[in-house]
Parts: sequence; structure tokens; C-alpha cells
Amino acid sequence: MIRAMVWLIGVVVVAGIVHIVTVFGVPHHAVRDPWNEIAAIGPTGRFVILPREGRDLRKPPAGLDPTMAAAACRFDLDGGPIRLKASAPDVYWSLSLYDRRGLSVWSLDNRASGGRGLDVLVASDVHVAQLRENPPEELEDIVIVDWKGREGIALLQIFAQQGSLLPEIAAALGAAECKASPLS
Amino acid sequence: MRFLLTLLAAMVASLGLGVGSAWYLIAAPHVGTETVGAWRSLPTVDAETASPYTRARVARIGELGMGTGLGLTFTAVGDDGGRRLDGRCDYAIEGVSPTARLWTLVATDGNGRAATTPGGRTAVDSRTALRDGAGRFTVTAAASARPGNWLPVPAGGGFTLTLRLYDTPAAASADRLPVLPAIVRKDCP
Repeated sequence: MIRAMVWLIGVVVVAGIVHIVTVFGVPHHAVRDPWNEIAAIGPTGRFVILPREGRDLRKPPAGLDPTMAAAACRFDLDGGPIRLKASAPDVYWSLSLYDRRGLSVWSLDNRASGGRGLDVLVASDVHVAQLRENPPEELEDIVIVDWKGREGIALLQIFAQQGSLLPEIAAALGAAECKASPLS
Repeated sequence: MRFLLTLLAAMVASLGLGVGSAWYLIAAPHVGTETVGAWRSLPTVDAETASPYTRARVARIGELGMGTGLGLTFTAVGDDGGRRLDGRCDYAIEGVSPTARLWTLVATDGNGRAATTPGGRTAVDSRTALRDGAGRFTVTAAASARPGNWLPVPAGGGFTLTLRLYDTPAAASADRLPVLPAIVRKDCP
């Protein structure tokens, strides 16, 4: 009886350890995280339009709302801060910034942007310090995001349920910029 | 000999239990978040507060979730009676519009694919949903076309309803949860 109990406790303890190791180990061995998935759709350093449920045969990344037309940009800050710029039609839109692991870090929607277009500069600590020291005039109306990591993913989503607006929305996604803009 | 066999069985059992329980909790949120009726809020995907299970799920299935700053996402896998949602049945999803600048409602199958109408529509949303004079709406979720607000669902098998609230004053904490529509099973073969 006591021996059986000892075995049972042993099984539970080892199962617990295996559980923890599995949960924390998965992110280190992931090959299908958002970073890799977006790489499979298009190149780094510019917005690529993501396939949309019901309209494309290719499967979009999981978790996206099929009512939104979306474009994603993988970026890294090696070439200076990244300027994200777009002008969307007057419908709901949002910009989400994800870290290298696909976790949400920062977001903005059309109301928070005050009805203006999208104009965001993603900059590292060093860049932000440089900008404070010597603020360029053209950056006065821009939203500056202090980015901790080296890499990230920008996701631009525009609410696209109105058929009449679809061409305009597709054009806005196609023209969205995700460019390194080195500080002079 | 007997000791070795028991040891082997114990090792297999602990490996199975450990990996199995981890897989179960990574695959979909079952615990640890707030529920409203049949709806369960999805755990946060914010980098600072995401749980290890969420981190593992994002890494494993490449999910791009909604950050807390944008709104809340709720999913339901059963109706208000606790029965599993079934693509062969009709459901009435009814209530007042949740407080949000925009909400969207989608039905997906086990692989996360959304059902579509022949016209390519996948969702019912707050901009296009028909309401009565009091602001109440009824969405009929069914595999084939229905009059009124029709939400297409995957034919046959189970499905998941996802309700996204954009720009909502509600939060995923017990004291500020939104009022969400009821999910009532209607005709069922």
C-alpha cells in the first residue's frame, strides 16, 4: 500500500516537471510562430498583405479577425528607426506592434490617432535619446514608440465589410510604408 | 524484474500525463479567465503579462492575438445550456449590442477556419447587424442561409464562436465584464 503511494507520488511529481519543461520549452523550438509565418508570406522590411479568410485559399495566421483586411511587416532596427505610415479610409483601423515572439507590445486605433492618418516611428532607446537631443521638425506630429527589442512585427488591420470600400482599403494596405529611416 | 516493469510503467505514465496536460492547456484556454454566460474571455497576449501557456500557444500556432489596448476577445464552444455547439443545429445569438465601438462575430471549425456565405461573408458585425427598435438583435447561426442576421457556421461537427469587442470600456476583470448575448439552441436534428 505504502509502496503504491510512493509510486503514485513519484508519477505526479515527474509529470509536473515534464509539464513545466514542455510549456516553457515550446517557444524555444517553435517553427510556426508569427515571425516565421509572416516570413513565409513575404519579405522583411515592408508590409505584406495577409491572405484573408473566405477570400483566399491560403490560410491566414491564426487569431486574426476575418472582417479585417490586414497587412504585416517584419522589421528590425539595425538600419535605424522604422517609420510606419498609412492613410486608411474613414473606417475602424488598428496598428498592433508585436515582439519577436508574437506577443502584443503596443497598439493604436483610428480613434486614438485622432482621425489623422497613421504615422508612427518605432525607435530603440538610443534612437529616442538622439531624437530628444536633436528633434527634427518633421517629426513633430509623429507618434514615437520606444522599442525594447531589436526585431518586431507591425500589423495593420482595416475593417473591410463594406464591399464598396474594398478597392480603397486594398490600395491603403498596398501603399502602407514600413521603412527604415536613419537619423541624420 | 517486477521493479523494472513498474518503473517503466511509471515513467510512461508521468511522461504521458505531463505532456498531455501541457498540450491540453496550450491548445486552448480552459481555465484562468473570466466567463460571461457561455463566453470565455481569451487570456491577454500582452508581452508583459502573457501566461506561459499563452506564450507557448502563440509560438506553436503562430497566433496574432488582440492586445488589451484594442479590445477584448471572447469565445464560446457551448450554448447557454452547456451543450457543445453543433454545426447541424440552429442557434439564436440574441441580446443587446455589447458596449464597444465595433464588434464582430465569427464561427470557426476545429482548424480555426471561418465558415463563409456563398457571397464570401464570414461574420456578423455591429455595423451591418439588423436590430429592433429597442436595440436588441438576434443572429441566427446555421450552416445554410437563414433570413435576418445569418451567421454561417461550419456544417457538421463542433464549432467555436468568437466575439471581438473593439474599443470597449469593458475589461477582462470580474467587476467590469461586458454584457454579452445569449446563445440559445433552436432546431436540432
